[in-house]
Order: sequence, then C-alpha cells, then structure tokens
Amino acid sequence: MVALMRRLAPGLLAGCAAVGLVACGSSSSSSSGKSSIKVAAGIVTPSTESLTGGKKGGTLTVLNHEDFEHIDPGSSYFAIDYEAVYATQRPLYSYQPNTFSTVTPDMAESAPEISADKKEITVHIRHGVHFSPPVNREVTSADVAYALDRGMNPNVANPYFLGYFESIEGAKKATGGPIPGITTPDKYTIKFKLTEPQAPIVVAALVLPVSAAVPEEYAKKYDAKKPSEYGNYQVATGPYMFKADSSGKVLGVGYQPAKSATLVRNPNWNPSTDHRPAYLDQINIQIGGDTNVIGRQVLEGSGLVQNDTPANSIVKLAYEHYRPQLEISPGAGDHYVAVNNSHGVFTNVNLRKAFWAELDREAMDKARGGALVTNVMTHFLYPEIPGFEEAGGLEGPKLDYNEHPQGDQAVAEKYMKLAGFSTGKYTGSKTVQIVGSTGAPAPEDAEITNQALKNLGFHTHLNLVDQATMYQKYCGNVAEEIDVCPSVGWIADFGDPQATLDVPFNGKLIITNGTNSNWGQVNHPKINKAMEEASKIVGVSARATAWAKIDRELVEEAVAVPYDWDKQPSIESKNVAGVGDLWNIGSWDYSYTSLK
Amino acid sequence: MSRYIVRRFLWGILLLIVVSALMFVLFRVLPTGDPAALRAGREASHKLLLEIRHDLGLDKSLLTQFWQYMKEVFFHFNLGYSYYSSAPVKDLIKERLPASISLVAGGAFIWLVSGVAVGIVSAVRRRTLLDRASMGTALVLVSAPEYWLGLIVLYLFAADIGKVRIFPGAGTYVGLTSDPWKWFTSLLLPWLVVAASNAAIYARLMRGSLIDVMGEDYIRTARAKGLSERRVILRHGVRAAINPIVTIFGLDIGVLLGSAILVETVFNVPGIGRLNYDAITHADFPIVQGTVLAAALFIVVANILVDIAYAYLDPRVRYS
Repeated sequence: MVALMRRLAPGLLAGCAAVGLVACGSSSSSSSGKSSIKVAAGIVTPSTESLTGGKKGGTLTVLNHEDFEHIDPGSSYFAIDYEAVYATQRPLYSYQPNTFSTVTPDMAESAPEISADKKEITVHIRHGVHFSPPVNREVTSADVAYALDRGMNPNVANPYFLGYFESIEGAKKATGGPIPGITTPDKYTIKFKLTEPQAPIVVAALVLPVSAAVPEEYAKKYDAKKPSEYGNYQVATGPYMFKADSSGKVLGVGYQPAKSATLVRNPNWNPSTDHRPAYLDQINIQIGGDTNVIGRQVLEGSGLVQNDTPANSIVKLAYEHYRPQLEISPGAGDHYVAVNNSHGVFTNVNLRKAFWAELDREAMDKARGGALVTNVMTHFLYPEIPGFEEAGGLEGPKLDYNEHPQGDQAVAEKYMKLAGFSTGKYTGSKTVQIVGSTGAPAPEDAEITNQALKNLGFHTHLNLVDQATMYQKYCGNVAEEIDVCPSVGWIADFGDPQATLDVPFNGKLIITNGTNSNWGQVNHPKINKAMEEASKIVGVSARATAWAKIDRELVEEAVAVPYDWDKQPSIESKNVAGVGDLWNIGSWDYSYTSLK
Repeated sequence: MSRYIVRRFLWGILLLIVVSALMFVLFRVLPTGDPAALRAGREASHKLLLEIRHDLGLDKSLLTQFWQYMKEVFFHFNLGYSYYSSAPVKDLIKERLPASISLVAGGAFIWLVSGVAVGIVSAVRRRTLLDRASMGTALVLVSAPEYWLGLIVLYLFAADIGKVRIFPGAGTYVGLTSDPWKWFTSLLLPWLVVAASNAAIYARLMRGSLIDVMGEDYIRTARAKGLSERRVILRHGVRAAINPIVTIFGLDIGVLLGSAILVETVFNVPGIGRLNYDAITHADFPIVQGTVLAAALFIVVANILVDIAYAYLDPRVRYS
C-alpha cells in the first residue's frame, strides 16, 4: 500500500492574535478561486497573484526565524526547505505557484505514460538541462534513477520514499543501490515497474524533491558518509544554486547552518527548458532572530520577505496598517482532535458524535487567530485539495453534530443517550487520557477539548508535552492507547485527496512498531476497502469524486473531530512582488518573486 | 599556587566528564531522545529506523555507546554531527565563538566600568540625590527583562525600525575581521542591553560592599595617617570591596559566553547561545550536547581565572 505524508511542522502554522482580530475575516471578502475560501478584502492570495511580468534582477533578502531542516533534495521535507530546494532542483514534475492540483512537467518533458494495468510508468525527460558547476554535464535519466535509488539509502534517510514508492519492484529491499523496478532504456527515458496497480500515487509523488536528478559519479562519495554529506556539496538543476566554492562545497560557503544561506544564479540553467521565470539575481537568506523584530523589518524595510510564520502581533499589524503586504494562503493544512477508534470509550460511534457535537470548534479557531487565518473545519478534505467541493465545501456534510461549530449540548445529549447513557452524561468509570502539546495555541486546544469532555460527564487526565514527544511517544504510539489527541494536524505532500486521507484514516496503514500517523487508530473495514479501490483510480476528477465519498463516510463515522482549516499568513516589503506557493502553504516562491 | 591551579584544572576536567555523562544519559532517557527517529524525520518507517540505529551505533549497549562518545569527545575532540545539516558540531561552535566573545567582551567591559563607577559614586555620596537616582535606575534596569529591553531599544533606536533611527538594528552583525567599524556599530545596542542589567547589579553590589569596607578599622587608620580621601577610597576601599565583584564577573562571563540566548536572538547575533536555542527547538541533540559542554568549559575556565585574580587582589588568600 501507499503513503506517508507531512504532518504539520512545529511552529508552521500560527495566525493573528486572538484578541482584537476576531474581525479579521471581514464581511467584504473575495474568493481565492477554486475552493471558495474567503479572505479579507485587500489581501492577496497565491491563487490571484500574477506569475508573469516581474522585473528582472535584484537581490531579495529573506529573514527567517527558523533554519532549514535538510537542504539535500533526498531528505528535505519541510516548507522552508522546499522553497530553497524547488528553486535549486527540478523534480520530474512540479506545481506552478497558483495551483495544488495541476502538475507541470519539470525535468520530465511531458505527462507520464501509464500502462493499462497501472503497473508500468514511463517518463521522458528533457534534453538540454545541465547540472551546475562543478559537474556541468547534461542531466540524463540515470541521474533521476540514482536520485530515486538514494531514497532508500539509510544515510540519506528519506522519510517518505517507502510510503509512496513501495510498490516499485525491489524498492522494499533496496538500501541505496539500484532498485530493479527502475530502469533507463535510454538517456532520456525512465521506466518504473510496479508490483501492484499503484501507478496513480507513484506518479503523483513524482512532484516530491526526491525525484530531482543527482549525479552518481559526483554524489556517491558523499552518500557513503553516515549521514550523507551530499546536501553540503550538492549541485543544482534549477535556476538557482547554493553558492559554492570551486569544489562544489556549499557548507560554510552558501549555507551556514542557523546563520545564513545564499542562492545565486545557476550559470548552466537554460530558461527555455523551465516554467520558472527566475527574475531575481540572488536570494540572501538570514536565519535566526526574533519574529517580532523580523516582521517589522520586513513591513517597514525594502527588498525583504519573511518565509516562515510571522508573529501574531505582526500579522495583526500587517492586517491593520500594511494590508497590501500581507498574503493569506488557503489550503495550508488542517487540525483536528484525534479520538481513539480502536481502544477505550470512543470505540462507540455515538460517543464520538456526542463529543463532536459538544466541542466548541469556533473557540478553538479563535485561539488560533480567528477567521483571518482559519476556517471552521467541517470535514476532512481541505481547501485546494481536489474533492473538497464535492465533499461539501466550506459548509460540509449536513449532519446534526456538524451543524453548530460553537457546540450544541442538546445534540450531544441525544448521542450520549443513543450510546446508552440515559441521563445524557457519561456515567462509566473510565478516565479519558488526553495528550496535548505545549506552545501556543495547542494548550488552548487541549483545555477546550478537556472542558467539552467534562461537560459530557467524562473524567479526564490531561497531559501536555512538547510536540515531538506528543507525536513520537504518545499519539503516534499505538501501545499507549491514548484516547484523545487535540492538536494533531496534516499537510498533504501533494494535491491529491489520497495524500490527505489515506495515512491518517486508513486502518491498514496503522504502524504498530514505529511512528504511527493514524493517531485515532481509525480502522473501519468498509472505509479501508473504499480507500484501496480509490487509490487505483486515474484522473483528477474521478479521484476527487471517489475520495469525497470516502470523506463523507469518515464524517458519518465521526472518526475524529475536525476544527480548523488553516490559512497561512506571509509578509513582504512594499517593493517586493511576492508570489506565494499555494502548494506549499503560501511560502514565497523565489523562482517567481521579483522586486518592483 | 601552581599546585592549586593544576588541582583546579583536574577538577575542571572531572566536572566536564560529569557534565558530558549527564548530557549523554539525559538525552537517551528523554522521550524525544531517539537520535535515529530525529535523524530519520517525521514519517520514518521501522526499517529505516533500524538501519539508522545501526549506522549510528545505537544498537550497541549503552555502556559501549557512552565509551565511544567520551572517547570521541576527549581524545579526538569530536562532538558529532548535526542531525539536520550534517555539519560537524565542533566547526559550528568554532564558527560562532567569535560572535559570542564579541558580544560578551564588549558588554562586560561596559557593565564592569559603569557598574563599578556608579557603585563607588553612590557609596561615597551616600543618601544624596545622585545616590538615590543611581540606585533607582539600577533597580529599574535589574527588573527589566533582557528580551523586553532588547525589543524596546530596537523600536526606539534601530536604523530600520526605530523611532529615532541611529544604530544598526537586528541582523547587522559582521565579523571583526571583515569590517571593524561595522562590527563595532552593529554591536552597540546588544552591548548596551547585555550591560544594562549586569551594570545595575554590579553598581548595587559595589555600593554595598564599599559602604561596608569604608567602615572598617584599617580605613580609619589610613585616614589617620593623613592619606587623601581619594587614595583611601581607591587604594584601600575599592581594592577590598571589589572582591565579590571579581567573583561574579568571572562567572557571569563564563555563563554568558554559552547562554546569551535572548540578546543573541533579539539582535540576531549568530553566537553560541542562539545555536543552542535553535538546536533545542529542533531537538538537534549533538549540537545541544556540544554547546552545553562548551558552556561548562567556559565556566570552569572562568572559575579558575577568578581564583587566580582573587589571590592577586587579596593577599590574605593563600593557595599553597
């Protein structure tokens, strides 16, 4: 089977201040496009930005509070990493900034060819794309094959390769050497042979940076190191490259961890082969600093952007005084309360529905910044993901426990009674274990959740730990049998409904001896079966329809309690024509951004 | 004296070993302390975790791992590699040390000179308006959190976001060797913030200590011998009163070198404190271990220097 996707990274999503910004989503709104998500008037969204006509030249300075996690395309898996990686590397396919559903051939020359049995994929790659110095030579299909081979190299430690590419023949047993199911019949063709009819998800995953070409003869010595040092000596295929010395060394030259990074033009980049306009000459990335200071520097300065989440106070300031410099990106992931479907009291579907009805989801969204940066989540496919509208759009399925986001005690009591508690309150002896996360606004999530459960008569035990511990030790550890995790969230790795629903809700993907991402241990045979069938469907529209139906079933089973569709704020200086990536939670795209 | 110094060095080394051991154990018993899981990323498969554990030697016994770690640290000065950037921790610390030294040295100079001077004046002009004003200001500065003070001075005086745009703001730090003037101006605001609360403490400490000393019999004797008041204060009073200042000065410098986190973060000075902070937020344990070890080293060295200075300043101290 398939799939492992990105969870919400620590600190990735925040929002405007809860106080004073309840009017963030003003009444005069404009649609961001396909998803009908509304943002306040005068605020740009990635869907409405112009991709053409930027001024050529100049240096953009990026002020980031957070550092990269990994700049090696084989291991990067973080929004901030992606902005540098997608400016310097060319995966087989990629998204233009204003879409999360339509892919554009990048290193590939055209759309992939999929065999009728969905077990073979053929991709033709472009002629005339060259690696940056010191390699300089033309990219071939063997370089793409090597990039994918290293996805299974433990020294590279790619976190998602097996999840998406497991069905490639021999992938499961590979350790960095050639994967038998990946062949290169000629210099410009790469073929994938699968053991199962999983071509749709394999093709969809070719937008991920692990498919960006890596020259074996150059990289092999770095990949032999434990861990691989290729990231610190990488070569580029995109319009930009990390500044490097003549040997190709990036570390200490174009990247100083937790300090700075410099992207310069790749002298070997051929614009006629690429959809990126690459207006800028150079991108200087300063790492560190306080988000309150950075935000003011960006708003009041020139030639600056911030590419991680601005402080709440800064979003408020930008909204009130620098509105044209604020971008809000819909489709930036979601947050929901995971409830344990396999162990404990919430194996009873009526108790899950009662909890859903009781929870004040509006209060949870206000804690995250209100309507400027959130929408009340009413089902599980999120905005900009194909299938969102088919699954009910913003309003969501018309079910009584989903009708009142501020909580509805009468409906909650109805389901408590259906669950066998005649007084409308829980009278059992079990204590509900809640594990939340520290760091605003997660403690508020936990408190509101705790209160809702107490209102239903449950005895609770609330434990707050840091986010990594919450996922690794508790919510992602099946053996702990945690009942409720109020602060889990998800960002799909690519714009496909399977990438949004499969891992968190497919019972067949529950991992019992590793880090499990089906936090609610959702395991309903009917839904599992439907997911298996839907994963084989080809075509955006057909997949959207099939997965929207699954979404409806998840809501009817109340497998979790959704509360927040995130909208990510980003800020820029007045003289920057920033273009945000809809597919990457609105982060500024260095290859499309220009100076005015 | 030399035997004492050697003995202190040996104790210092023992302390560093204990700190290393504590850090090692701590990071392996913490719930987030699985280096393989951190290295592998958020969605790693079980197979990948096993492979990385093997590569990093984490499948060996804890004792073997500890021995390997200590061997690397003390015999090869190898502090390991960052989980994220794969950069050697030793190099990262070495690269950031100049910024931390610059910040702490300048700040320490300001707070020592101003704190001691204000303390002397306050003690000599006891209960005057000047004394009350100085001590009142000191109280305010001691109470002001560094983070808050940093933001305030930036909003008031930074060239990019300030109301009165005088000094270079956050993120303007450059190395001393690349541009001495820029280095100096970029550190003015951070120095003032680092110095503010410390100077206030030193002023209060100096004042109290000097008032006590000035009441001693030997000061009366000095005056009776006909020495000028200036000489009595500076030669006999301050010299004795400064001992507690010397003690905390050395320790403060040692501590700050490894942990000026707030000032380094607000002003975006790429020092060791910020490196540590970033590593903690990313759970990049090799860097946390390395920076904590470096901070412990600074404190040990500072302690030894303080003791030597003590011997010089106070003839009653005998180390032999």
